[in-house]
Amino acid sequence: MQNNLELENKIAEKIKIAFQTAEVQVQRKQRIKVNLNEDLVHPFLTFAKNTLSYKHLSHISCVDWIEDNQFELVYILLSYDSLVQIIAKTRINREKAEFPTARNYWPQVETYEREIHELYGINFVGNDHLVDFVLEDWEDLPPMRRDFDTVKYSQEHFFNRPGREDAQDVRKTVTKHSGEELPDLAKIYSVRN
Amino acid sequence: MREKETTLYLGPQHPGITGNMMVKLKVTGDTIIKAETHVGYLHRAFEKLMEARNWMQCFPIVCRICVPEPDPNEENLARIIEELEGREVPERAKYIRVMVLELARLGTYLLWMGGQSGSMGLYTMPQWTIGDRDYILDLFEALTGGRVYHMYIWPGGVRRDLPEGFKDKVLKTMDYLEGRLKDYDDLLFDNALFYKRAKGIGVIDKSKAMEWGVVGAPLRGCGIKHDVRIDEPYEVYDKLKFVVPTAEGGDVWARALVRRQEFEQSISIIRQVMEQMPSGEFYNKVPNPLNWKVPAGDAYVKTESARGEFGYYGVSDGGLKPRRMHVRGPAYVHGVSLLERILVGANIADVSFIMNSLGTCPPEIER
Repeated sequence: MQNNLELENKIAEKIKIAFQTAEVQVQRKQRIKVNLNEDLVHPFLTFAKNTLSYKHLSHISCVDWIEDNQFELVYILLSYDSLVQIIAKTRINREKAEFPTARNYWPQVETYEREIHELYGINFVGNDHLVDFVLEDWEDLPPMRRDFDTVKYSQEHFFNRPGREDAQDVRKTVTKHSGEELPDLAKIYSVRN
Repeated sequence: MREKETTLYLGPQHPGITGNMMVKLKVTGDTIIKAETHVGYLHRAFEKLMEARNWMQCFPIVCRICVPEPDPNEENLARIIEELEGREVPERAKYIRVMVLELARLGTYLLWMGGQSGSMGLYTMPQWTIGDRDYILDLFEALTGGRVYHMYIWPGGVRRDLPEGFKDKVLKTMDYLEGRLKDYDDLLFDNALFYKRAKGIGVIDKSKAMEWGVVGAPLRGCGIKHDVRIDEPYEVYDKLKFVVPTAEGGDVWARALVRRQEFEQSISIIRQVMEQMPSGEFYNKVPNPLNWKVPAGDAYVKTESARGEFGYYGVSDGGLKPRRMHVRGPAYVHGVSLLERILVGANIADVSFIMNSLGTCPPEIER
C-alpha cells in the first residue's frame, strides 16, 4: 500500500477547519474517517458535496450499538476528483431513533433510508416514502436490531419438518439410526486453540 | 381521446432472466408512465446471518449474494478481514485472485450477452454464450471444486494452488473465447437490429449519473471513466496493463459497447496474469477459524465487478463474529431508484431489455 498521504491529509485539514468538533482520521490511502455530532451531519454532507465535490454517495449503513443504547449511521462518500472515500459517522439515540433525511442531496438515499427504516426502525424525518422494502407487512421488532431473537421468531412462526419436531442435534438422530457416535468437531477445535 | 391508464405487474418470475423481482408498471397504451420496483422474493437475511457466524463461516453466505459472479463478494470479505488485521497476502495469491475475478467477469459478460439478446428475441446468442460460459465453469471446477459458488478466496490468500496443467487450460480457453468474439460480433454487436433496438433506449443523463449513484458499465457508458481497478487498485491490478473503455450516449447501446470492449480487456488481463504469476506460497497461515478474533474496527473495501462497484462495509467489535457486514452491490441503485427513473417513457417490451443492460441482480438488493 502506498504511504504518500498528502492528498488525504489536505482534505482532512479542510474538514477540521470547517468542523472543529469533528474527529477526523486518515485511515489509509484513499480513506478518511470522520466522526460527527448528529447535528453536524447535514452541514457536513452539504459541505462535502458542494465544497469538496463529493458527488457520489456510495451508501448509508447502520450499526446497532445496543450496549451504548445507540445507533450508528454511516455515510460513505466518494469524490471522483480526488478518489478519496470519506466514511462519515454519527451516533443517535436508540430509544427515539429519528434522523433528518438526506434525500434532497442524493435521490437514491430514499432507497437506503427505506431499508434502514425497515430493518432498524429509524424514522428519517422528511422522507415520505418509508414504505415496505424487502419485508412485507412486518409487525415484529425490526429484524436487524441486535435484540431481535431469530430463533424465537422462527419457533413462533414456522414448524419443524415431520420427524424433526424435537429439533434435536442432528448427530443424535444419526446415532439413533446407525449407532455411530459422531464427534462435536466445533467443540473439540475451539478448545484446542 | 385520453388513453386509459393500466397497471401491469412484470415479474416476479424472472422478468428477462435477471432474477426474482417485480416491476409494477403504470402504462398508457404501450408507454410506461410510472415504474415501481418490488423486491423481497429472494431475501435470506444474509447480513443478519453473518452477525451470528464466525468470520470464516460467512464465506459460504456471501458468495450467494450474486449468483453469476460470486467471487467479488469473497474477495471483498477476505480483504475486510485482512485490512482489520493488517494481514499480508502472498504475491502469488494476489495474482490468482485477479485471475479468478477476471474469469468471473468473463462468465458474467457471457451471461449478460445471452440475457441482453434473449430479451430482444435473439435466442441463438444465449445458446452460444451459456455454452461458452461452461468452459469457464469447467476451469472453476478444476480450481475450486465448485462450478458456480467457489469459496476459494479467503483471508491470507486462496484455498489451494493451481492444479497441474491449469495454466495451459486457462490460456486455451482464452484463445477459444477470443476466437468466438467474431461470432458474437456478427450476431449481436454488428447487428443492425440490435443497434436500432438499443440506441436511445434506457438513457442515463450524464450530468446526473454520479449523483444518482450509477457505477460500472452504465457509468462508463455515459462517458465517465471510472473503474475501481484503476482508481483504487487492489490486489495486483496496478501491475497490469489494460484500458478502461468508455462510450457516449448513456443508453443500452453504449453500455453494450463498453462491455464488449471490456471482454477483450479481461482476456488480456488473464494472459498477463498467467505470464507474470510468481511461484511461491499461495496463502499465509491463519488462526483456528473457530476461535478467530478479528481486531475491533471498521473498514470499507470495494472491487470492480462485471456489473459495477461492489462495496463491503464491515465492523468488528473484536469478537469471533462480525458486528456488522453491509453489502452495497451495484444493483442496489441500478435495480431500484435508477430503474424506476429511466423506465418512464419506455415501452413495455423495453423493460427487461433495460434491466439486463443495467445488470440488475435482485439477490444483492435484498441480501
